Amino acid sequence: MSPVHFIAIPLFAAFLIPLAGKVSKELVKIIPGLVLLYLSFVSVTLFPIGTHHPVVEIIAGFKPPFGITLYYGAIAAFLTTLITLIGFVIWLYSYKFIIREPIEKYYMLFMMLITGSTGIVLTGDIFNLFVFFEITSIAAYSLTAFLRDRDGAEAAFKYLLIGSFASTFFLLAIAIIYANVHTLNLADIAVKIQDVPVTTRLFVLILFLIGLGIESEMFPLNGWAPDAYSQAPSPVGAVFGGIVVKAAVYSLMRIIFLMFNSHDVLHFLLVMGIITMLIAEMSAMKQQQIKRMLAFSSIGQMGLVIIAFGIGTEPSVRAAMFQMFNHALIKSLLFFSAGYLVFHSGSKKISALDGLGHDKPITSFFFAFGALAIIGLPPFSGFWSKLYILLSIADAGLMVPVVLILISSIIEAVYYLRVVSRLYFYKEEATDVRRTPVSGLIAMGILTVVILLVGFYPNLILNWMTPAAADLLNKASYIKFGLF
Amino acid sequence: MRKVIAILLLFIIGYYSLDVLLKIPFGESAGGVGKHYLESTIKETGAVNSVTAIVVSYRGFDTLGEVTVLFLAATGLGAILYDKKAKKRALQNASVIVKTSSKIIYPLIALLGAYVFVHGHLTPGGGFQGGAIIATGVLLMFISYRSFETNHKALSIIESLAGMTFVTIGFAGLIYGTSFLQNILPFGIPGELFSAGIIPLIYIAVGFKVGAELTALLDNLLKTIK
Amino acid sequence: MIYYATSILLILIGMYAVLVKKNLIKIVIGLSIVDNGIHLLLIAIGYVKDGTAPIFSKPGLQASQMVDPVPQALVLTAIVIGLAVTAVALSLIIRLYDHHKTLNINKIRKLKW
Repeated sequence: MSPVHFIAIPLFAAFLIPLAGKVSKELVKIIPGLVLLYLSFVSVTLFPIGTHHPVVEIIAGFKPPFGITLYYGAIAAFLTTLITLIGFVIWLYSYKFIIREPIEKYYMLFMMLITGSTGIVLTGDIFNLFVFFEITSIAAYSLTAFLRDRDGAEAAFKYLLIGSFASTFFLLAIAIIYANVHTLNLADIAVKIQDVPVTTRLFVLILFLIGLGIESEMFPLNGWAPDAYSQAPSPVGAVFGGIVVKAAVYSLMRIIFLMFNSHDVLHFLLVMGIITMLIAEMSAMKQQQIKRMLAFSSIGQMGLVIIAFGIGTEPSVRAAMFQMFNHALIKSLLFFSAGYLVFHSGSKKISALDGLGHDKPITSFFFAFGALAIIGLPPFSGFWSKLYILLSIADAGLMVPVVLILISSIIEAVYYLRVVSRLYFYKEEATDVRRTPVSGLIAMGILTVVILLVGFYPNLILNWMTPAAADLLNKASYIKFGLF
Repeated sequence: MRKVIAILLLFIIGYYSLDVLLKIPFGESAGGVGKHYLESTIKETGAVNSVTAIVVSYRGFDTLGEVTVLFLAATGLGAILYDKKAKKRALQNASVIVKTSSKIIYPLIALLGAYVFVHGHLTPGGGFQGGAIIATGVLLMFISYRSFETNHKALSIIESLAGMTFVTIGFAGLIYGTSFLQNILPFGIPGELFSAGIIPLIYIAVGFKVGAELTALLDNLLKTIK
Repeated sequence: MIYYATSILLILIGMYAVLVKKNLIKIVIGLSIVDNGIHLLLIAIGYVKDGTAPIFSKPGLQASQMVDPVPQALVLTAIVIGLAVTAVALSLIIRLYDHHKTLNINKIRKLKW
């Protein structure tokens, strides 16, 4: 079994879907599910190997740094598993949710997005990273405009403009790196970049921060996110929050820890994370539309993750990874339930949700569940990751971020509970006869079970996070295995 | 005001990037991986064109990604401009001279495209260039004939099959060799048409795919929506 | 020297167009100019004085006389990516024009920022 399956199989499926569409419409919908099931099987077989000892897969039979390598270490094992899991749930949810033609194209874009994001996570080559980044981004632009309405096209265009700037800076950074060190392999760059002049390194770092910060939703580069999240179909919102951003943050952190590992850079990340979090949470407070609110909340959560990475100690990185895992699950659950709440109420406005808790008890329950979990109440999984982040920051002796995180949690609680209270404590007579499809409920059910399970037994995940954090922080071992 | 801010911002970016770039020696002979590629292209891949060897062999995974990006663009365009009752945008009919000559040139252009992608490992060119040349031929036909229609079904089948061929060649390397996309065929004599193992095969698949995709792209852009 | 400066200038011109222009098509043209600037920069980085194309078409060609092939390979990939982004951007513009009947960015509500 080889990690290349994670990239090649969904790609193969994307090419296969148009042919399958000629045979049967149903087949188009089933293939992605089968692919994701197969990928979870690959995950299960490879996971123990990868966390124990990094698997470095050579492409085309040329030794690094001459050929492209895939680096399947503990962190990549964790993230590919997460992407597969979230992808599978999103597929299940989309099964009945995406009823608008061209369904075929939706699943093709979705499959290529999975290819792109697993590629970002696995690749050990900086230009290859750029290519996969573009695959993910272009799939994301197209999915944003999938509904073909006015706002969707606007949001997608805005996203595309900002994303193009990001890729420009990214490519410029690659050009400068190549001109200086004449290599493209990440591990090789990490060795050779030490001899590059400081000003050049600083400039390259800024280019990377802009290029990757845009997809990571870092302040002030996240203007695209609220529009894209709220105008795209609901499962695509979950794709952004659960898959795209996670892959982007990982690649940013990988590059920073490999090439620019200094205290100043980490402090800068810490400050940016705090600003991102505070501004996003305050903006979320003001939102009238439920999906925009979720988008801002997502940015805020990513700010929290960046803060934890910015501390840069082993426990904090572990907590950041745990938070990424939780956020991917919980935000997907919230987007799923919000999708059907919007569908049933017929409006994107929060004020239209009055009394849906009585009319649509199950969907509303899932939303309330997700809201409580993301605020970080025990016994949900969100509680543990937030707690560990706070503890690790306190351990590092920084009290200001702790206070700010607590404040933002209170803000978060206020705006989420405002929605939940509207669901349950307001009366509205109108009822919607349409039902939430079973596949959607199963998707939400799976997420709920996982969130509860991790909430009660956080060590299930945390045990795997320890090698993952070590993998990210230990530059020497990455270089050793990456270049062997 | 906006202009002033933009100029200031761009000035800063330009100043620092030049500052960084001027530290790089200009025009010195290739070092690092570039040097290694030049020295061992023929030995390790059997292709005489080093650029092709890098694109298809050493960094073949990038090319797989590149093919995906193009496929993605065609798919995305199809999704964004999807319309059940799409009609061709009314173009002006071209003059008789243009019509007649384009009819003659069109097969020649297609032939040139095929030549370029088949000889990708020997001469400058390759699958992407060849495919683009073929698509320009189709564009010429679109311009000259208002009623010129492409066979959508055939195009999408070619796209899919060519893409699947690429991935299958990759997996063949994994099964019969040691790694994905590994060259498992004999290299032959460098400089001959039948040489360089899987490189021509991949480039033929890419050529077909790019030709079909760019044609589909043009076709989609020429349609009216609503 | 001048090659670096020119390509950077091209990038800046493209970015200026994206930041300042109001017409959607002009913005996309700006993006393409930026792309081309970067491609030229990459090629300039790979340039070797008096170098030939990296193709061993005749016997007797020495590897040391050739330009660096890696940037050329990267540019090939980058061009295709640029093309894909442009195509998607144009299709979005067609959609936007269809909804708003204008290409002016100021008349399209959300694109103002």
